[in-house]
Amino acid sequence: MHEVGKSFGAVRAVDRLSLRLAQGQTVALLGPNGAGKSTAISMMLGLRTPDTGTVRVLGGTPDRAVRAGRVGAMPQTGRLVGGVKVRELVGFAHRAHAAVARGPMPSLDELMDLARISDLGGRRADALSGGQAQRVRFALAMAGAPDLVVLDEPTAALDIESRHELWAAIRACAGRGATVLFSTHYLEEADAEADRIVVVDRGRVVADGTSEEIKRRVPGRTVSIDASALRRDPADLPGVLSSETDGRRLRLHTTDADATVLALATAGAVRDLEVTGASLEQAFLTLTHTDPIKTDNTQADHIQADHIQAGPTQAEEAVR
Amino acid sequence: MMLVHYVRLEMLRLLRDPGYLLMTLVSPLTMYLVFTNLDLGGGTSSDAAVYSMVGMAGFGAIGAVMTNGVSIAEDKPLGWIRQLRLLPLGPSQVVVGRAVCAMVAALPPILAVCLAGGLVDGVSLSPGRWIAVILLLWAGISPLAVLGVGFGYLLTAQKAQMAGLAFYMGLSLLGGLWFPIRLMPSWVADIARVTPVNRYGELSWKVAGGHAPTLVGVGVLAAWAAAFTVFSVIAYRRAAQTV
Repeated sequence: MHEVGKSFGAVRAVDRLSLRLAQGQTVALLGPNGAGKSTAISMMLGLRTPDTGTVRVLGGTPDRAVRAGRVGAMPQTGRLVGGVKVRELVGFAHRAHAAVARGPMPSLDELMDLARISDLGGRRADALSGGQAQRVRFALAMAGAPDLVVLDEPTAALDIESRHELWAAIRACAGRGATVLFSTHYLEEADAEADRIVVVDRGRVVADGTSEEIKRRVPGRTVSIDASALRRDPADLPGVLSSETDGRRLRLHTTDADATVLALATAGAVRDLEVTGASLEQAFLTLTHTDPIKTDNTQADHIQADHIQAGPTQAEEAVR
Repeated sequence: MMLVHYVRLEMLRLLRDPGYLLMTLVSPLTMYLVFTNLDLGGGTSSDAAVYSMVGMAGFGAIGAVMTNGVSIAEDKPLGWIRQLRLLPLGPSQVVVGRAVCAMVAALPPILAVCLAGGLVDGVSLSPGRWIAVILLLWAGISPLAVLGVGFGYLLTAQKAQMAGLAFYMGLSLLGGLWFPIRLMPSWVADIARVTPVNRYGELSWKVAGGHAPTLVGVGVLAAWAAAFTVFSVIAYRRAAQTV
């Protein structure tokens, strides 16, 4: 995807987003709700046309890749249709792919086995539990042994056990050399399953790297002090990724609480000091509220009034 | 052939719908038997039986193709249309597949009513005419099958049901499938003659009576077919954009 943009009315869902996937990688598209993940994915699949920029999938248009059976996709929403048994439904997708297949395809039994739905073949597709239905939808995505698998929040609304089952199936398919792109808003999931994590916010890539690289940028702790105590720019403090003031409290999101506290002590700004573990939400806020391009005036309205910007070095680092 | 697989899957779904059989078979059959015994067709009773047989077979066929439209509309919120777009299937295959389903679904009511006409009411036609009547009843429903598909893609299930019902009941009545338009006030009959439903029935009425279908009739039906095709293509494009 190169400089891809998409707006719905006044809402800019995807804003000049560029993303290049290497073959065989498992990539997580991580971001809060409304970050533009689904819109980006729908353009990658040719379901929506971008307003600006270009999308190329496996050397051609998304439509062509889908028609050639080289892409498997599991949209975020969607239930299975009624009046049809699981094996009939998956068998249909399998035949659709077999008609255009260029290489060897797994048999229907192998496919059902891979998706862990062998025992569901005779069940009506619209009478399955959430986890079962999701595995059937995964089987539909995997029916043609695709080169690229795109999963839009595959585990949303699943219980832990179903989540594990689905991931076992996804790992099995990644193990066969497919490129897997999945979106999620669970940091742990991206951490555990992806080779690379792309953090998206307000339609743009705000961070991109391995799990380790991302984690270094995500604060582990929040140090809060009385706002009037600190007389220097909080962004200069060691470990601090971002900060915010809430009334009289100044909150510093830091990757290294010890160093931050020591620096505060040196500066004599430890009045009412408090150290808390950062929640995932805070971690997200750090990454996603960091404006990647400070010189871009159109972004100004995205910055909340009460939010103090992180230092320029760090903001620039977010652009890669 | 992928189209065949797709049609088979959709037919399987349609046939497993319990309301489907009721809608497409029970009402035209019942009405046919009642109508022929009330002698609403006018003229000799054997003419009336043929007239009503064709009318009610057509009525049943319209019901079947409109039900098919409703089932398309019901699939939309499930994400089925998007799911199909993500398979290596062309959009034209999907639309044509759904129209073929409608055509297949129209066969049982046509055959059932014709069978009832031959066996119960003693309608006797030469074998050639039987085949011609049934074939025209079947082929002639295609414009309305396309329209039903368009309703399905454009409308919500509830609205598709209402639109389908308007055609099923309203146009069947206006088009003269229930009783001949010559029994209607002349201005109503004039309107009836430009409806696709009247011209659809006319094909088989003519052939059953030993005449060739009129050029005007075929022309009117063809014009509707063209309009309905444009409508359905637009409807599908709109549906595909909002998936």
